[in-house]
Parts: sequence; C-alpha cells; structure tokens
Amino acid sequence: MVRKSERFPGVEWVGETGAFIKIDGKKCTGCGNCLRVCLGRCFEVKNKLASIKNLDECMECAACWYVCADGAIDFAWPPGGTGYRSDWG
Amino acid sequence: MIQEYDVIVVGAGFAGPVAAKKCAEAGLKTLMLERSENPGEKVISGLTIPIYGFLFGPAFIRDGNPPIERPVDGIKNYVIYDIKAGDIDTVELRIPRPLSPIFAFGYNAYCKPFIAWEVDQAVAAGAELRTSTTAVDVIKEDGRIRGIVTDKGDQIRARLVINCEGSQGILAVRAGVREKYPPEAISLADTYDYECPREVIDRVFGYTLRFCWGFDEQMIAPPLGHGNGLMSWPYRNSIHWMQDQCLMLDGGQAPNLRKLFDEYHGNITTQLPWWRDEIAPSAKLRARMWEGFEIFVGLDDRLRNMPNYTDGMILVGDAAGLESTGLCDGVPAAWFSADIAADTAIEAIKANDTSAGFLKRYDRRIKAHPIIQWTITCRGRWDLRKAQESHDRKELRARIDHQFGPGLLTHLGTPLTKGILEALRKDPTVITKWVRMFLRYYYNWENEGSSRENLPGQEKKRGALGTTLLLSDALGKLLSPLTRAIAWLLEPLAGAINPLTRALHPLIEIILRASIKMEHVFSPLTKRMADSVKQADPSIFDASN
Ligand SMILES: Cc1cc2nc3c(=O)[nH]c(=O)nc-3n(C[C@H](O)[C@H](O)[C@H](O)COP(=O)(O)OP(=O)(O)OC[C@H]3O[C@@H](n4cnc5c(N)ncnc54)[C@H](O)[C@@H]3O)c2cc1C
Ligand code: SF4
Ligand code: SF4
Repeated sequence: MVRKSERFPGVEWVGETGAFIKIDGKKCTGCGNCLRVCLGRCFEVKNKLASIKNLDECMECAACWYVCADGAIDFAWPPGGTGYRSDWG
Repeated sequence: MIQEYDVIVVGAGFAGPVAAKKCAEAGLKTLMLERSENPGEKVISGLTIPIYGFLFGPAFIRDGNPPIERPVDGIKNYVIYDIKAGDIDTVELRIPRPLSPIFAFGYNAYCKPFIAWEVDQAVAAGAELRTSTTAVDVIKEDGRIRGIVTDKGDQIRARLVINCEGSQGILAVRAGVREKYPPEAISLADTYDYECPREVIDRVFGYTLRFCWGFDEQMIAPPLGHGNGLMSWPYRNSIHWMQDQCLMLDGGQAPNLRKLFDEYHGNITTQLPWWRDEIAPSAKLRARMWEGFEIFVGLDDRLRNMPNYTDGMILVGDAAGLESTGLCDGVPAAWFSADIAADTAIEAIKANDTSAGFLKRYDRRIKAHPIIQWTITCRGRWDLRKAQESHDRKELRARIDHQFGPGLLTHLGTPLTKGILEALRKDPTVITKWVRMFLRYYYNWENEGSSRENLPGQEKKRGALGTTLLLSDALGKLLSPLTRAIAWLLEPLAGAINPLTRALHPLIEIILRASIKMEHVFSPLTKRMADSVKQADPSIFDASN
C-alpha cells in the first residue's frame, strides 16, 4: 500500500505503520507543544488532553517526542520498511 | 537460529556504510541493519557536504565516483535589514576563479543516491545488509551490550555494535548510553525541493549557495540565532530550500512551527527580489519534507560530553551528537567518526576486548580530531541572537561574515591546516589524490554524472592533463620524505593560522571581493581549464597507488 499527500508532494507513505507514537493520557498535561511543532498535523488537544488524529502525514521527525516535557509521548520507529520515504531528501 | 556477528552496524545512512566497509575489509563478519526498505530514502538533508569531508574522510569516497548534484564554490549571504524597503546587503565567501568550480568548497547531493552508492561499496567489501529491519532494543547481559533485538523479534548477537542510527538516538537512549537531547538543542528544518531548468540555476546561482538572514520582526525567517534563515542549494536541475527553527527557544512553550514556517515561506518567497523575480517564475515544487537536526548540541558542555561508548557499543555521527553548530553540516563528522569507530572496532576485536575500558580510545580520538571539534563548538550561528538584541546593522553583518562569510577563515584556518598537515604526514602523496578527486568530480558533474562503467570500449587518451598527473605522481613520490618532514615540522605551528587570518581579515576581505569583481578577466582561463577536464578520458583521474 502506497499513500501520497497533496499537501506534501514528493513523499510516499508505505505499508501499515500501526500506532508507533503513543500518548500516555495519565502523563499528558495538555500543554499543546506536540500540536504546535507537528507539521504533519497529527495531533489534536481537547479538554487538556492530547491525542493522535492519525499518522497519515507523519515524517517521523520526532519533534513531538522532543518537546513533550512530561514524558507523555512514547516514540518508536514504525516497523521496518513502513512509513515515509522520499527520493528528494 | 542464533545469529552471530563480529560487528553490527545500526543504520545505513551517511556513517553506517563507512564503518561497515572498513570492518568487512578487515575480515570482520559485519551486518548492517537499516529500517528503510531502500537505503537513504528516510534521510532528509540539505545538502552540501563541505570539502573537508572529502579531503580527510574515507579514501573510497575521495577516490570514487559518488553521485553529486553540483560542485559548490562558496556562500552568498543576503543580510536583510528591511525587506519591504529593499534594504539588503550581501556578504560573500567564495573560492575565486579560475580555481573554482573545479577546486570546490563542497559538493551538493541528494541523500538517497549518495547513501545507496556508499552502501553498495560496503556490500561489495563483504558487509551483509538487512533492510526493512529496525533495531528496537539491545541484548544486555551482565550489564553489557551483546547484540540487537529487531522489530521482527530476532536476536542478533555481536561482539560490538556500532550505532549509526542518526540524531534522535532512540536506541542509544533506550540502551542507556546517552540521554535524549533537549528541544533547545534541536532544530526542525522545513525543506522544499523545486525543479528548475539548469540554465536558470546556472545564471542565478552558478555554483554558489545562497543564505538569507533578517531581523526577527521581518518575519521572513526564524529568529536570529535560533535557526537558519534561508539556505538554498543549487542542484543540477533543482533547488533545495530550507528554513529551520529550534523546537524550543528559551524554555516555556514550543513555538507554533506549523504556523510560523508557512508564514516565513510565504513572506520570503514573495518578497525576496531574486527569488520572486528570477527563480519563482520557472521553479516548480517537487517535494516538501521536514526533519530535526542537532543545531546546538555541541555548545552545551554537558551534552557535548555525554558518553559516546559503553561496554559493547560505540555511537557514531549524529547519534553521538556530532552535527555542526556552525555551518549546519554533519556528514563530514559522520564519516570521520565512522572511520574512527571502525578502526577502534578492528583493534578491539583483535584484542578480544570490547569493554568500555578498551573503547575509551574512540572518545579520545574524537576529542583529538581538529575538524570534528571545530564543527561542534562554533558559536557563530548561536551568537546571531546578540545582533537581534542590539539591533545593530553593523553587528548583524559582522556576525554573518564571521560564520558564513570570509570571517570563517579566522576560525577554520587552524583546524583545516592541522587536517592537511596530518594527512600529509600520514600519506605525503595524498595531494595528487586530492587533485584527482577535484578533477574526477568535476568531470562527473559536467558529464551529467554519466556512468563511468559505460566507457571501457573507448580508446584511452592520456592527453596533456593525463601526462601532467602522471608526472606529478612521480614527483610526489620522489618528494615524499621531504613532504612528510615539512608537514611534521609545520604541524606545531598550525595554531598560529587563526590569529594570522584574524590579523589579515580586512586584507582577505579585500582580496576576495576584488577576485570576485575580476572574475570576467579569468573567464577564458576558467573555461579552458573546465573544458580540458570535461573532455579528458576519465580514466586519467582514477587514483594511482
Ligand atoms: C534538513 C537538514 C539539512 C542538513 N544539511 C546538511 C548539509 O548541508 N551538509 C551536511 O554535511 N550535513 C547536513 N545535515 C546533517 C546530515 O544530514 C547528518 O549529519 C547526517 O545525515 C548524519 O549521518 P548519520 O549516518 O549519523 O545519520 P543518518 O544519515 O541520519 O542515518 C541514520 C540511518 O539509520 C537508520 N536508522 C535509524 N534508527 C534505526 C534503527 N533503530 N534500526 C535500523 N536503522 C535505523 C535511518 O533510517 C538512517 O538511514 C542536514 C540535516 C538536516 C536534517
Ligand atoms: S506535548 Fe506531551 S504533555 Fe503536551 S499536549 Fe503533547 S502529549 Fe500532552
Ligand atoms: S514524528 Fe514529527 S511528523 Fe510525526 S507526529 Fe511527531 S512531530 Fe508530527
């Protein structure tokens, strides 16, 4: 399976990544840092709690993981051979 | 099935294949793991690889034919005081004609083909490659690392793991070798790739990178000292374009990069005269990507001194925090550290000791490497924030000059001289290898990167250039003892180069400026030199031994 995005040309997302980024609702303070740095618009914050909308346009940059001061984001790479790829990096 | 190797290299990016090739050549059973399906397709970068990477990096890259997109002769900086009023100054650092573009400041490349080429060399040397495989954990026994666990659940044992996983260091953090870097030390790069006809790029950029910087209130670029304004790289038929900003400025909330990047991009592409008028009409967006990189890791003593080895594992390249805090380059340090890691691995396995005590020499060598240490301690870009504080035009220009203009020579001079002298002491004939590299790379660029393998049927013609190269080889060999002795004698004096270039800075500026103005005088000679390389039989550029 190969997906493309209109907003982000020149990139493909392949295979089933599953939910490789997870949020621990108990630790999340709803600060919104992840939402602000994610160019892929993967997050939403409602009632002081962040959740992942989807990872369809995730570029695996880990910015969300870096800015989450509360350790609420569990970041792992998607399974080998899945996720974003580009010829133009 | 128990799988056992001497060395596992995690990550086949810029560093991984360099380490894997050297280990395999030394007869070590070497496995390279890469999480992407095709090497290089998850690596996002600029990319200009500065010349010191090629001069002092792995011999197989210097002597080979990696795919490059364009030689680079230097940087032209646009210092934007007021974009609406067109109040823009320039600061330029360039290797003058007729030396450039053959004798280049660096080479531009796309990550995927370049990395794929490196990986091919490692595999040809006997390293095994397993793609679509993520190392998710380490095997730990008695507190020491004994191998890797993959996302498929395989346990692969090794006497040593060389970790080249890149800047996030997820595995290194998980294995407890180093901590996660704080967001203040990481910058997120919003990267665009535009197709553009070669003649437009030739006319507007030539061989020169264009960087743009502006006072914060212009909103055309990230706040000064918290990222790079605009870096644009001319490729063969395309332009790479990036703006980046730290994930956290000074504590508090993370900036709203989602909004800010669109704002900077919109403002600068519509207001910057040369982009708007000369590039935009013929540029077509081909790709947009983003990636984080280590912008200021090296400037923090604690981060810079975090461990880069443990019992059974060495960290290399970005995983070890070796990205430049000045020019934004990381590939040279990734290559150097991969080379050093492979040497260390070979020695450790021979001594049957991969304990932290033995691997300590890796860290010592990294700390003694003049270019690595220079790249990770440059303060020039960080200091740009002081120009915003004073809001002084002169200060802004001077600080840009210091890091990205002729002032670069006042701090690069000593490490570069040390690198050259050390290389000459080790191999006095390296000069002809360097010259051949410049000529071969230029040939490859001019001939559209045509595959050298297609040429064997043709009759070989040595020509005047080939004869000159052979003569210089002979001379180089003859003078070897003398060259080595001179390099050895001069090495202790390399420390004087920085103070000297500082004293001569105004003069250097004048000479560089004049040489750019006089370029037309050298046009015929530059063209003659370029033609003789372009039309030569490429076999004359192959490294002689
Ligand atoms: C936008 C941008 C612009 C840049 N511009 C320049 C420039 O102009 N010049 C320059 O010299 N440098 C530049 N750099 C820096 C340069 O790209 C890096 O320093 C360089 O890629 C580091 O090489 P590396 O081998 O350490 O890591 P990488 O090249 O990142 O390679 C890491 C590899 O490991 C793989 N991997 C990661 N984790 C695992 C795992 N657990 N299991 C298996 N595989 C794994 C990745 O898929 C990747 O292939 C730039 C960086 C960015 C982000
Ligand atoms: S950054 Fe962390 S704590 Fe803040 S909203 Fe996101 S997940 Fe929650
Ligand atoms: S890794 Fe990057 S793109 Fe993916 S969700 Fe996190 S911030 Fe967004």
